[in-house]
Amino acid sequence: MEVDHNTLVAFAKSWGLFYLIAFAIVVLVYVFWPKNRKKFDDAKKSILDDKDDKPWQQ
Amino acid sequence: MIRQLTSGERRSAATILVALVIVGLAMAAAGRADTLGVHGAIVFLYSLVLLFLVLSVIFDPEPEPSRLSQYYDDPSKVGIVLTMIWAIFGMGVGVWVAAQLAWPELAFDAAWSSFGRLRPAHTTGVIFGFGGNALIATSFHVLQRTSRARLADQLSPWFVVFGYNLFCILAVSGYFMGITQSKEYAEAEWYADIWLVVVWVTYFVLFIRTLARRKEPHIYVANWYYMAFILVVAVLHIVNNIAVPVSLTGAKSYSIYSGVQDAMVQWWYGHNAVAFFLTAGFLGMLYYYLPKRAERPIFSYRLSIISFWGITFFYMWAGSHHLHYTALPHWVQTLGMTFSVMLLVPSWASAGNALATLNGAWHKVRDDATLRFIMVASVFYGLTTFEGSFLAIRPVNGLSHYTDWTVGHVHAGALGWVAFITFGSLYSVIPWLWKKKAMYSARLVEVHFWLALMGTIIYVFAMWNSGILQGLMWRTYNDSGTLAFSFLETVIAMHPYYIARAFGGLLFLAGAIVGTYNLYMTIRYTPEDATEKAAGDLPVPGRGEAVAAGE
Amino acid sequence: MPEVHRKLERNAIGFVLAIIVVSSIGGLVEIAPLYTIDETVESDPNMRVYTPLELAGRNIYIREGCYACHSQMIRTLRDEVERYGPYSLAVESKYDHPMLWGSKRTGPDLARVGGKYSDFWHVAHLINPRDVVAGSVMPAYPWLARNPLKISDLGDHLAALRKVGVPYTDEMIANAPADAFGQASPDASQASGVTERYGNDTTVSAFDGVPNRVTEMDAVVAYLQVLGKLTKAAKTEGAAGQGG
Repeated sequence: MEVDHNTLVAFAKSWGLFYLIAFAIVVLVYVFWPKNRKKFDDAKKSILDDKDDKPWQQ
Repeated sequence: MIRQLTSGERRSAATILVALVIVGLAMAAAGRADTLGVHGAIVFLYSLVLLFLVLSVIFDPEPEPSRLSQYYDDPSKVGIVLTMIWAIFGMGVGVWVAAQLAWPELAFDAAWSSFGRLRPAHTTGVIFGFGGNALIATSFHVLQRTSRARLADQLSPWFVVFGYNLFCILAVSGYFMGITQSKEYAEAEWYADIWLVVVWVTYFVLFIRTLARRKEPHIYVANWYYMAFILVVAVLHIVNNIAVPVSLTGAKSYSIYSGVQDAMVQWWYGHNAVAFFLTAGFLGMLYYYLPKRAERPIFSYRLSIISFWGITFFYMWAGSHHLHYTALPHWVQTLGMTFSVMLLVPSWASAGNALATLNGAWHKVRDDATLRFIMVASVFYGLTTFEGSFLAIRPVNGLSHYTDWTVGHVHAGALGWVAFITFGSLYSVIPWLWKKKAMYSARLVEVHFWLALMGTIIYVFAMWNSGILQGLMWRTYNDSGTLAFSFLETVIAMHPYYIARAFGGLLFLAGAIVGTYNLYMTIRYTPEDATEKAAGDLPVPGRGEAVAAGE
Repeated sequence: MPEVHRKLERNAIGFVLAIIVVSSIGGLVEIAPLYTIDETVESDPNMRVYTPLELAGRNIYIREGCYACHSQMIRTLRDEVERYGPYSLAVESKYDHPMLWGSKRTGPDLARVGGKYSDFWHVAHLINPRDVVAGSVMPAYPWLARNPLKISDLGDHLAALRKVGVPYTDEMIANAPADAFGQASPDASQASGVTERYGNDTTVSAFDGVPNRVTEMDAVVAYLQVLGKLTKAAKTEGAAGQGG
């Protein structure tokens, strides 16, 4: 297949959109996957648990 | 400070600096008939001074091995001082160029001080000098704390800090002499660009090596943003700056891109410099210093991940909104516009996440000017990204483009978001780094806050007025169907706004000077915090770390 | 799927690759097609390249940062076309390395300023804008008339531009300094070579009013006077639309 301007423009306009949707779904699934909840909660609090301030207490 | 380097590291530093001294001499000799020679002299002197500092302690005893059980913060400290020096320089030049538009005699008919040469000195001074140093300094701090690990070695952070500042000095001094590629926000010439690549690769490698030593399995989201900043800026910088030098003995080069392709590459770079330099990196600051200062976890960690991928994905498409109604093909303009509007989603997710974090802690915002800096930064981030999406809509852009509205928009972001989040983060981190109880004067932080806020608001309102007014005047027709105003009439109408803008900038500059004074007094005259908390800011000891001294 | 991401973020290198892939899509999709097309850049076989003197003037325009306040891109809007002339076509900047479309109009657009004012006006205006245009906020550039133009290395400049795709001939490169001198010195023997190599429409003139002495002022005025005149495409193209 010859790659000309129109091919690329068509690709940009159609597959770009599909890629976008697929990508959004992947990120959303990851973020809301139930098993990940705990990890995110830990990460969220990780900078505040003072472990980095008082490592000797661990 | 240099005594903290091991003797091996001191020798490596000396070797690198000797090499740089030679490079500087070679540049000065080869470019003696050109402004390149001046840059050779600058490289020579810069590395000579550093070499002298290193050599003065080269035979001193080895540092204490106990340093390896602490975080390595000296480069961050130096970076923060440099940040404030660049702030005063960059903002000072900004006030001067702003005043030149109101009173053109202030160029004093000299070449180096004319508007066109000062303007890139201002933009580079604030974006790369002030912003870049702040990003590097805070990234080292955040990276170590969130990884609970010390920086991978002691030499490369110095290489990054001093190498990066050499780039900034070469860039800015070049503009005064007329060395410029004319590519906006990438004006530095080919040799400075090559040097920045070397520095940046070192930065990236240091970041990755330190991450690899982390004691936490999960990489905290602030580091994602810092990493995207480092990576994507490297890609942007390299692609946009590919050029053919006229000769190796001169500063001038010609970009490999021309015309419409160059315009697209330039604004793909330009807009993503906004995205990954002025947004992603500073969001990294937000996601660490906001929760730390407010002593509350971020409202939604999930939201921060969604906005991260949203920003990383969407921004890259948006650059073409700088080229509406131009000779750029229509479909590319439309694509840029669409993605710019969609960008509002991840942008507001971040801004909302920040403000929701503060919900329930508003009394702290009221009492603590540092936290208020961060809060106002989040508000301006939300406002500016909304304005940005709005200005990217083609017909709106038809009015706003080429006018001061764009300048106002940029400064709403640069002052209201970038500078506010930087000052908020610095006021948080300075006492932690220098192990003080607090800043020298909370009162002066308060003064700085109000000066900065008033300055920003005056600036932005002046530019909204002048931009919209001029855009409308350009397209106003009289009854006979011809254009109502000559171009000159629209210039004269700007005069009062240009005065107001310079005044707003002056207030902002005054705030930065107050902040620098406060920093100086904190370092010099504030007693150390001897409590357990300050003493306990340590990395988690790793296996065999103590013996890895020569690393 | 979540497993994949977990591994990704545990492995910093994988994370790095993910960022690069995700972030580069947009640029690729928008920039790559611009290189495949005939429609992006209209063709004009008669378009000429900048003479060495005009190129030197362009480099001074860049050096002084003129692009910070003057655009060279007339948009497809009615008021712009009426104020500045036919809207800019992509072909008009195809030899511009880099382009100087600009992003701000503190001063007016210059895409078609060539021929609009006399050389004398430009010289007076550049020496002190407020002598000619009361109320102007443009800086004065008096040193341009004082500085002699460096012409000895112009051949190297042309050669560098040829490397990036501008069709300069060997003859043009070899004669670059002579042509720069000739274009600003109508009475000198070198003047005829300029029109020979760059076409009869090329203006040969003592741009700064002083013949036989080539200053930076000569170069800048020569450049300003050729803006919008390298091709007639914009005038003949009429209302023809742009690419898709």
